Amino acid sequence: MPVTFTFGEMLSARSVIGSTLAELGDSHPNLWVLTPDIGATLVEFRDKHPERFVDVGLAEQACVGIAAGLAYDGNIPVVSGMLPFLSMRALEQVRTDVCYPNLPVKIIGTHGGLVGNGGSTHYAVEDLSLMCSLTNMTVTSIGDPVMVGEILRQSMDMPGPIYIRLAVGKKDKVLYEAGEHDIRIGKGIVARDGSDVTLFTHGTTVAQALDAAEELATDGISVRVVDMFTLKPIDADLIERCAAETDGRFVVLEDHLAYGGLASRVADVVADRGIRLESFERLGIPQVYAGFGEDEQLRDKHGYGLSATVAALRRAVAPATRAGADEPAAV
Amino acid sequence: MIETVLDSGERHSVAELTDLAYELRHKLLELCGTYEGAVHIGGDLSVADILTVLFHHGLRIDPDDIANPQRDRFVLSKGHAAVCMYIAMAMRGFFPYDEIVSTYGQLDSAYGMHPCKVQLPGVECSTGSLGHGLPLAVGMALGARHRGETHRVVTLLGDGETGEGSVWEAVMAGRSQKLGNLVAFVDRNRQLMTSFAEERVMFEPYPDKWRAFGWNVIQVDGHDMGQLVDAIAQLPSPDSDVPTVVICETVKGKGVDFMERNLAWHAGSLGAADLERALAALAAGRENTTANEQEAR
Repeated sequence: MPVTFTFGEMLSARSVIGSTLAELGDSHPNLWVLTPDIGATLVEFRDKHPERFVDVGLAEQACVGIAAGLAYDGNIPVVSGMLPFLSMRALEQVRTDVCYPNLPVKIIGTHGGLVGNGGSTHYAVEDLSLMCSLTNMTVTSIGDPVMVGEILRQSMDMPGPIYIRLAVGKKDKVLYEAGEHDIRIGKGIVARDGSDVTLFTHGTTVAQALDAAEELATDGISVRVVDMFTLKPIDADLIERCAAETDGRFVVLEDHLAYGGLASRVADVVADRGIRLESFERLGIPQVYAGFGEDEQLRDKHGYGLSATVAALRRAVAPATRAGADEPAAV
Repeated sequence: MIETVLDSGERHSVAELTDLAYELRHKLLELCGTYEGAVHIGGDLSVADILTVLFHHGLRIDPDDIANPQRDRFVLSKGHAAVCMYIAMAMRGFFPYDEIVSTYGQLDSAYGMHPCKVQLPGVECSTGSLGHGLPLAVGMALGARHRGETHRVVTLLGDGETGEGSVWEAVMAGRSQKLGNLVAFVDRNRQLMTSFAEERVMFEPYPDKWRAFGWNVIQVDGHDMGQLVDAIAQLPSPDSDVPTVVICETVKGKGVDFMERNLAWHAGSLGAADLERALAALAAGRENTTANEQEAR
């Protein structure tokens, strides 16, 4: 059954994965879905295409290796699982078996960021840093559940691998109205336009960024929110344009280590292109193992929740007061 | 024995295959004598007979049609034996042997220490990091099975490599997916890079480990061409349900007395003098074998 959705409502990204893969399985007879025992999302595909569904059990390394073997054989394999394990335990298979021969393996999963209350074994907080370092890999992080389907569909034509990161994916806000934005891998989305400061973000914190922008609008501060859902290749032109159009003021917010993720990608573009900024601040996970708690509680505790985001944006537009700002923990 | 339209290579007798393996070893030593860097000569020599029987007898392949969808797939899981595979493939007509000798390991050469599919078409998979080949082979066998194709996916692992956990993940997956079209050859040379295997890792009872995982196990002397040919004849039909492992008892450095079971010859380079010595040892070994065979008759 196709998933129906309404702007502003909550939707399970996992259900979108399931229904999109089932649909793509019809149109792509060489599409396979593999999982290391994280198959609940995939029931629709499994029931429709059981002969192309492989649950290897708890064996992430073999799962990615087998996917690479299927891709060598001319198939389009999608590996679906929990990202802390796919990005770390199977990292060498992703790098050597998938990226080195540039095979069209799609890796999609949940638990990107401090989400799900599983503790640090079950949070993928280094994954974007790891994946962005791999030659041939395209790296995405999706907040809007409907977009998940769109990105999966676009990925079918890609000759090489892609990494698609979700948060928990059980209950996510539909951020964009259908047709509102041109959603293309490699292009950032201006989720809300503004002229005083640009807030770059991705994934689960896009909704929080929009809330922060709304709050500041009541004070007459105009925040541009950029959903930089593709971290690699990064939309460098958009970054340069934002610097010119929002007075060189950048804040980067992400549910990932503050160093190594989007903030570092943006900083690289700024350095490489010689972009002059008035201010730059990053909000993300400091160098700690974060502990337990609900998603919002952890974001607040570790300094990148809604109030911290609002405060950072205020600092950005009043750089003179920046000296009093909290610096993120050292790299 | 596999008979198909693709099996266009000459049918070789056991004696002819033995001669081809001798030639392969000879060429390996020559390369090891001329190339200044290290060659993994110990593990190359231990698989020379296995690769000969695969590329000249077992595998349904066509060097003039490397993308034929019906071809058997070969995955060199022990990627450090790449040069032995390159030469075996060259002898089968895939590559010019002279090109291997003149460019091996050089800047921009397609022939490197570990095989790269992107740089060397004809090679099926990029390998080198150990424990990766069997999962790749499982995926390739799954794809073939799904399309109803009857080719086999054959991989060659080192026994030391089977210390990697990812191998056993794939062993379970291959059995769970009922891949009778999957065949793993294991080069059981009982040496790791720096030690004799059993001193460090308790591999034995080795065949029982594979049996316990539900695989069909064939055990052979990996230097006895007749036994290797028989093993291939015994492989179950590719549309059967149980994958097969052919455990080949081998000697690292086989054929050159001063390299055999010698930890110093995991990898190395022969100078001109040592090359002469190695070639003499290889020839002497062949004469002894021939004499023993005649005596046995």
